[in-house]
Amino acid sequence: MRRIVLATFASCAALALTGCDGNPLARKAETRSEAGIAQAEFPQRVYWGDSHLHTSNSIDAFGFGVRLGPEEALRFARGEEVTSTLGLKAKLARPLDWLAITDHSDGLGATKALADAPGFLIRDPQMKRWHDLLNAGPAGSQRAVAEIIDAVARNNLPSAMMDPKEGKKRTRSIWDKHIDTVERYNEPGKFTAFLGFEYTLMDGGKNLHRNVIFRDGRKQVAKVVPFASLGTVIPDGLWRYMDAYEKATGGQVLAIPHNSNLSNGLMFQMTEPGGGAMTAAYARRRAAHEPLVEITQIKGDSEAHPFLSPNDEFAGFGVTGWELGDLAMAEGKSPDMFAGEYLREALKRGLTIHDRTGANPYKFGVIGATDSHTALATGDEANFFGKHTGNEPQAGRIMQKQNLGTSEGRFGWHYLAGGYAGVWAVANTRSAIFDAMMRREVYATTGPRMTVRFFGGWDFSGSDLSGDWVRAGYKRGVPMGGTMKAGQGRPSFIVSALKDPDGANLDRVQVVKGWTDKNGKSYEKVFDVVWSDPATRRLSGGKVPPVGDTVSVARATYSNSIGAPQLATVWSDPEFDAGQRAFYYLRVVEIPTPQWPAYDALRYKLKLRPEVRVKAQERAYTSPIWYDPPA
Amino acid sequence: MNWRSAAARVLREPLVHFLLIGALVFAIFGEDGAPLDRRIAIDSAQVERLSAEFAQNFRRPPTRVELDALIANAVRDEVYYREALRLGLDRDDLVVRRRMRLKMEGFATTPVDLAAPSDITLQVWLDKHPARFAGEPTFSFDQRFGGGALPLSASLDDAPRSEIAAQFGEEFAAALTGLPVGQWTPVTSGFGQHDVRLRERRPAPPPRLADIRQRVENDWRAVQAQASEERAFRALRDGYRVTVERGL
Repeated sequence: MRRIVLATFASCAALALTGCDGNPLARKAETRSEAGIAQAEFPQRVYWGDSHLHTSNSIDAFGFGVRLGPEEALRFARGEEVTSTLGLKAKLARPLDWLAITDHSDGLGATKALADAPGFLIRDPQMKRWHDLLNAGPAGSQRAVAEIIDAVARNNLPSAMMDPKEGKKRTRSIWDKHIDTVERYNEPGKFTAFLGFEYTLMDGGKNLHRNVIFRDGRKQVAKVVPFASLGTVIPDGLWRYMDAYEKATGGQVLAIPHNSNLSNGLMFQMTEPGGGAMTAAYARRRAAHEPLVEITQIKGDSEAHPFLSPNDEFAGFGVTGWELGDLAMAEGKSPDMFAGEYLREALKRGLTIHDRTGANPYKFGVIGATDSHTALATGDEANFFGKHTGNEPQAGRIMQKQNLGTSEGRFGWHYLAGGYAGVWAVANTRSAIFDAMMRREVYATTGPRMTVRFFGGWDFSGSDLSGDWVRAGYKRGVPMGGTMKAGQGRPSFIVSALKDPDGANLDRVQVVKGWTDKNGKSYEKVFDVVWSDPATRRLSGGKVPPVGDTVSVARATYSNSIGAPQLATVWSDPEFDAGQRAFYYLRVVEIPTPQWPAYDALRYKLKLRPEVRVKAQERAYTSPIWYDPPA
Repeated sequence: MNWRSAAARVLREPLVHFLLIGALVFAIFGEDGAPLDRRIAIDSAQVERLSAEFAQNFRRPPTRVELDALIANAVRDEVYYREALRLGLDRDDLVVRRRMRLKMEGFATTPVDLAAPSDITLQVWLDKHPARFAGEPTFSFDQRFGGGALPLSASLDDAPRSEIAAQFGEEFAAALTGLPVGQWTPVTSGFGQHDVRLRERRPAPPPRLADIRQRVENDWRAVQAQASEERAFRALRDGYRVTVERGL
């Protein structure tokens, strides 16, 4: 008996870096059929979810201390109570409709394996040091992961840690188990659990990360394992992996870039990566693989920067701290980099490249997500559970230095509470939600759940806001994410925003327009198209005056005595030029509400430093509608 | 005199000590005289496993020389491992302790992973925790909003409570529970004042296993895994007398 136990232990020790938790005999859960789930004629309701969540299988999340895995993440997202890593009971006041867990494919499970490995088997002194730190409590664990991220950013990881052979074995075992868990929680019609991963592409410390989401279940997805970036600096390998997957399985997969705000200008270049002129083939390839971009999440918002949009007083939501440099702060940021980082500018660059080459690489829809590393997909200010376990709710987290490699310039309060994605799908199933993502019929919010509709056409008028206007919108126009072909007259848009039924009133809805002239130069303009209390808030200098402010920071409250529950209009573009390529998207702005540091201050009786953001106007961004001029 | 003190007296007898030592010597040295913990036997099953692992990595069986090297390495592993144990390296290494704990916890939960629970097991589980699997009440109603036209359904049929809360907010959904049937009544939602005529209210239907089998199984599995680990731990823990000294 003793020998058997020893043999088991010895073989596990040998496997320690590949994980010894796989259970080959376990019964495999099957993908549940979507047959019999009613599909609406056109999207009737918005399905809320998070496309970007990390669990203990992520190299950094584990290092930061999280011990909750995919199962807890799924239970929490669908509304069940779980116990957080630090022991707090947590339950979403409003469950999500769908979730994609996206653990890092690079070093999937590596930190957990490193922490769990017997110390005397680790030969590399650097790894031994991290191993010891990972087991020396939360502070040590966070120090280790900061050093690991820094090493990744500097291409300086010990080779043993990224050993492809060990990594492959480990990845296979974790992936199989993960697929099983996700399949058990995917319930067509009720709750959609997607299979996916994060592809953590970096050029030095410059963030080029993508989330990858599959439309399919075990039968197809088990044929591959998550694809790692392994020190490469361009996404080409990922696209080839995606092509190979689709070809081999008949399935479908998409990729969603995120945190362009930390790419130091590399996410949306005017050229191909490496500096060569962009070709139409490359542009088509990028757009086909990457139909969406994450516009807002915990590590800042990437819609618009005041440097690029000086006339937009609502630009620059949650850019503080993140605008200082790349992800690892390996390289500081200079203003010329912003244009390749913020989405409005990227959409404009897309038009210019389209004019030039005949194809638009940046024709993407937008979603919000959390990027939470706590396994808890929390997006609201009142329930911010932290970017990672090191800043789960606790008194000191607001001014905590964020040691991503270094501790320069970034503090706990720079984190936003995180966003969500709204998807206009015909059912709550993998296929329906994925297909809506592919046609970009999605929008982002910074957390609140406003209901936003946006249709573009050639003959909408004010009377289209009554009766069955949604049907009319689909019949006579295109929804968000669509493209308008040339038509008669000026384009008109049905604009409808309904507040979060359990949240704050709306201040205004804006149309953001971008276009190019015949010299290929691009422009932008923000139109206030409908706002609350128009009788008292008259346009002055072309702008709508501020809505006011009811926030009590001390009590972390606001009042819906200002703003409106609903804003709707039909708007037509007064400056339309049929020869100019253009896009239009909506920005829906709430009245000011307290931000998570204000709730923390109340909870922990803190006195906050003056620079800490305590209130803000949360918002929704829709995917654009594009206008293509006649060729 | 109870059996405990009788046993204690027997254990103090020198003859008993002698017999126990003899038994121990036999147990340690075995029949051929070499101490058991000083023998390393690499049996044919282990050689086969080494060979198979090699084949998996290199897509061919190992040569004779390579296999000898693998075996020599296995022996080296075992020697170091045993010596490490002798030196007590397992005792002062936090990670080894943690890894061993994880392994033990793994043993405790494995049987649940393996089991495919029967319908009967799950039905019993469902009957025992009806609240966890309760469906939702549904409501059919008409509503008019006081502040103009909202892009919300004017009339809903058999809408589950959660759907209503998602559309109209929690306050509105909660109000429907106590509303009189068949008459227009003012109700507040997240948007403002509505007039609502409740047509029908249906309590949550009793959950049927066939409809929610996977959900019940998920819950059963998670709870069983935890309970079985706790049981296994208790069984071991009961073999120890634990004392804790606390300074004030």
